Amino acid sequence: MESSAGSDQTVALAASHVQKRFGHVQALVDASVTVHRGEIVALFGDNGAGKSTLLRVLLGIYRPDAGNLVIDGTERDLASIRDAQAHGIEAVHQDLALAPDLSVIDNMFLGHEVLQGRGVLSRMGILARKRMAERADDALRQLAIKLPSVYVPVRDLSGGQRQAVAIARAVMWARTAVLLDEPTAALGARQSEIVCELLRAVAARGLAVLVVSHDLPRILKVADRVTILWRGKTARDEQATSLTVPDVVAAMVGYEGRAA
Amino acid sequence: MSAAAIPSKQSAEAAPDEQAVPQKSALRRLTSTTAFYIFLVDIALVIGFTFLSQNQVFWSLQNFESLLGNGAEALLLATAVTMMLAAGIFDLSLGANLILSSVVGAIVLSHLTNSRTQHASAGAILLTLVVCLAVGAVIGLVNGFLITYLRINSLIATLGMLGICTGLGFVLSHGSDITGVATNIQSGFGLHSVLDIPYPALVAVLILVALWFVLRYTRYGARTLAIGSNRTSAERAGLRVRTHLISLTMLGGILGGLAGFVDVSRFDTTNTSGHTLDALAALTAAVVGGNALQGGRATMFGTLWGAVLAYVILDGLVVIGVSAFYQEIATGLVLWVAVAIDSSRYRRRE
Repeated sequence: MESSAGSDQTVALAASHVQKRFGHVQALVDASVTVHRGEIVALFGDNGAGKSTLLRVLLGIYRPDAGNLVIDGTERDLASIRDAQAHGIEAVHQDLALAPDLSVIDNMFLGHEVLQGRGVLSRMGILARKRMAERADDALRQLAIKLPSVYVPVRDLSGGQRQAVAIARAVMWARTAVLLDEPTAALGARQSEIVCELLRAVAARGLAVLVVSHDLPRILKVADRVTILWRGKTARDEQATSLTVPDVVAAMVGYEGRAA
Repeated sequence: MSAAAIPSKQSAEAAPDEQAVPQKSALRRLTSTTAFYIFLVDIALVIGFTFLSQNQVFWSLQNFESLLGNGAEALLLATAVTMMLAAGIFDLSLGANLILSSVVGAIVLSHLTNSRTQHASAGAILLTLVVCLAVGAVIGLVNGFLITYLRINSLIATLGMLGICTGLGFVLSHGSDITGVATNIQSGFGLHSVLDIPYPALVAVLILVALWFVLRYTRYGARTLAIGSNRTSAERAGLRVRTHLISLTMLGGILGGLAGFVDVSRFDTTNTSGHTLDALAALTAAVVGGNALQGGRATMFGTLWGAVLAYVILDGLVVIGVSAFYQEIATGLVLWVAVAIDSSRYRRRE
């Protein structure tokens, strides 16, 4: 994996002029967002602004009614999560999307299992848990995540540790972009800081990072660029350094959405 | 970031090298399971019944052989229940599946039986087996389709299937059990023993062990448990959850069909009225053994000991001369106690 520090010019993931309607609700009217490799983009917006919908469009969970998606500079159509994964896009969902009864290893390799042996033996689908454990350990160490053991069930971990595992899993399989939905929502101040450091570590590996959050001050500090949605439209899209928290809040509630 | 960067009880003392060390020793993990306690209860019951029975006849090869023979069908169904429960789905239609597949299999075999010798060729018996398995597979396929594509709750989908299969079984058998079935299915399989273990019991135990391995060591097992633990997470990990669930209901259906074949082979006839509660007995065995109703945690050996428990109580009461009706009462009580202990342990861990 190329580890270019900071953002380069390739568009890793972009949605332009996306529309999405559910029954009587026009969730997305004209939403656009662009993330380059090595860049952290924050996606802000009030409740119902369409953040989660846009994230799900980028993950192939929803198909847009209009507009298009660009992955690694090429226009693509995503029909399912598996499509998005095939293009190297992984996500950290708000409810973490881990199976609590499964061990850290089994969670990290779910859908990407490493099998024992070749030929007949591999067709039996026997897991190579030792090799999986080594790779999981490696992936966690690279992000400086410490766990008591990768064999414990996820239900035995703390909230911060679970979040770290979810991020490590996404990073392990992402080749293009990592999308995070409210990664700090359930965490205390200190754990949130750790997640922000993780985001930087992920971007430094040359991956695009798109983070949806309500944690404005913290995410504004870590983000390179900010996209603000207001009633299903992209209201603002600019460098994070040029924005303050009050600016963001004003745009989120539509104060500047039309005027600016 | 430092070692204590993520604040928690464990990380403070966890050095990086200790990452791969499991939290408890293998022995302690084994002895803390419900399956282990039920196993101890089984042993205690066997000892108890042995001393209570006249001349200790409970402890006899003959008695154990009959125990194993009677338990084989129940064990097959309980194994099927365990696989499906692991993914968080129920199958109430297993007993009805057994009835219908045994009726269809018995009809096929009775047509291929030489009426003079009362024997059938090995090919005919093999065909009967295939027919039983196929009936079970179709039942499982329909169950899976109802649960996944029509999004009918598995309890309801299989409850409907329970009625349909039971009814179809009666329609096809005209309300009376199928007779004129080749007797060599009995001598050759149903009542045949190797090292005093009846074939059906041997098959049932081998399948249970094989599926224990599948759950514990294979990708299929890990995905099954992932779906049961958190279906959304399995979908988001990119698993084909619907296909997987259908494969599970078909596996369960096939085991139900196999139990139907075993039923014909042991009694040389069908028993359309004797299996209506079998699905519930199988569920009881699985839950007593420590399988989580909500999925995600499964224990095949728990199921084994749970099934053994029901049959030891049944057999033991008969041997010591107490009415077998008490078996159902005893099993019901054990079910409550086992689940209460299990859920209180999980509350403490949360």
